[in-house]
Amino acid sequence: MIAYLKIAGVVLAACLLQMTLLPRYLLDPFQPNLLIILVVYLGLKLPHRLAGVAAFALGLLQDTFSGIYLGLHAFSYLCIYTLLAELADRLYTNNRALFVLVVLLATVSSAFLNLLMLAIFSVSNGVYASLLPALIPQALINGLIASLFFGVRLPVEEAR
Amino acid sequence: MRNLLLRYKRFLMTAVFLLVAFLTYALNLRNKEHANPLERAVMNVTAPVAGSVATITGTAGDIWSNYIDLLEVRQENIELRKSVKLLNERMVAKNEAAVENARLKALLDLKGAVAVPSIAVSVIGEDSSAWFKTLVVDRGSADGLLEGMPVVAAGGVVGRLVKVAPQSSRVLLLTDHASAIAAVVQRSRARGVVRGAGGGRCSLEFTVKDEDVKVGDAVISSGIGGVFPKGLPIGEVTMVKKGEYGVFQTIEVRPSVNIGKLEEMLVLVRQSGE
Repeated sequence: MIAYLKIAGVVLAACLLQMTLLPRYLLDPFQPNLLIILVVYLGLKLPHRLAGVAAFALGLLQDTFSGIYLGLHAFSYLCIYTLLAELADRLYTNNRALFVLVVLLATVSSAFLNLLMLAIFSVSNGVYASLLPALIPQALINGLIASLFFGVRLPVEEAR
Repeated sequence: MRNLLLRYKRFLMTAVFLLVAFLTYALNLRNKEHANPLERAVMNVTAPVAGSVATITGTAGDIWSNYIDLLEVRQENIELRKSVKLLNERMVAKNEAAVENARLKALLDLKGAVAVPSIAVSVIGEDSSAWFKTLVVDRGSADGLLEGMPVVAAGGVVGRLVKVAPQSSRVLLLTDHASAIAAVVQRSRARGVVRGAGGGRCSLEFTVKDEDVKVGDAVISSGIGGVFPKGLPIGEVTMVKKGEYGVFQTIEVRPSVNIGKLEEMLVLVRQSGE
């Protein structure tokens, strides 16, 4: 029970940081996306059916505080989690470089998935003009944060 | 003679010593700026001793001046530093209050100018993604806010409410790709729709090529659609391009509101039935 509360605390802290503190002090494309790092962590270290629900919930949480399309990030995070869960047992998940690389690739993949969904299902023409220039800085900053927090053992592992 | 000398021996000895002293003085009157051998010898012997005594005296004086005597001064210094820190904090708070006062005054002037009931809101959060442009404000449905209500600031249009919770709401900024505001060029009355283009920019779309639009023209809300009241400043034209083909011209608009520095805004409350 306490482990789950700790998990909730970590997620809440990540959300609040992304919404209040980081936008105040960091320029737009250089604000890290902490939730996608958590999704990659779940996919590589904890492939489990409930972890899939958690990844979907993290996406919904991201959508609540970002943009106006509920379900956009939820879908892309679930796709990323599913792919990582399938590949996790073939990878050496304790490797820091691999974790950073996967976070980089996950950021890029999430962006392209979002772009595809927006292009097909919304009238936000030209959204690629915002997404694409911010993609590389966002991926790099996510990779940097992932490398800094790689050694931190999150309470999720206590809940297993 | 010998008896005379013996009888006055003391007197004579005294006289001789006085004479020698006088002669010493008289002979050295000419060499008053030069040390004679005697003087040099005495100085040579006493100099080291005098130096040691001076060193010891100076050290003792330093200890007294810089430590024992300064014990109270150190405490006074600590107290003065605390006072300076407190005064600096007060000065910063005062400056912040003055700046906030100016901001709120401008907002109050806007509230009077708009002539539509409005509610002041403050920004409490921003979009957690780098790709969308929304803000979170501290009022919601409990304060009478509804989705679709326009949001303005002292400089002009900011956006509209898109998601309203009881205690907070999300504002879709005019620079977001999902934003669209019916607009008109103030000078030539050319109509169009201001859509967000990301990166702090907007574009005026669906303006026919024949319309007269120039760089520097002010763009205001047209009131069409009933969302934004007519006449609210939206921005300024920064680029106009008329291609060879196509019906519409390409126009870029820079918002008149500094999106990055928004803190307080007004939500225009629509009356029921409007």
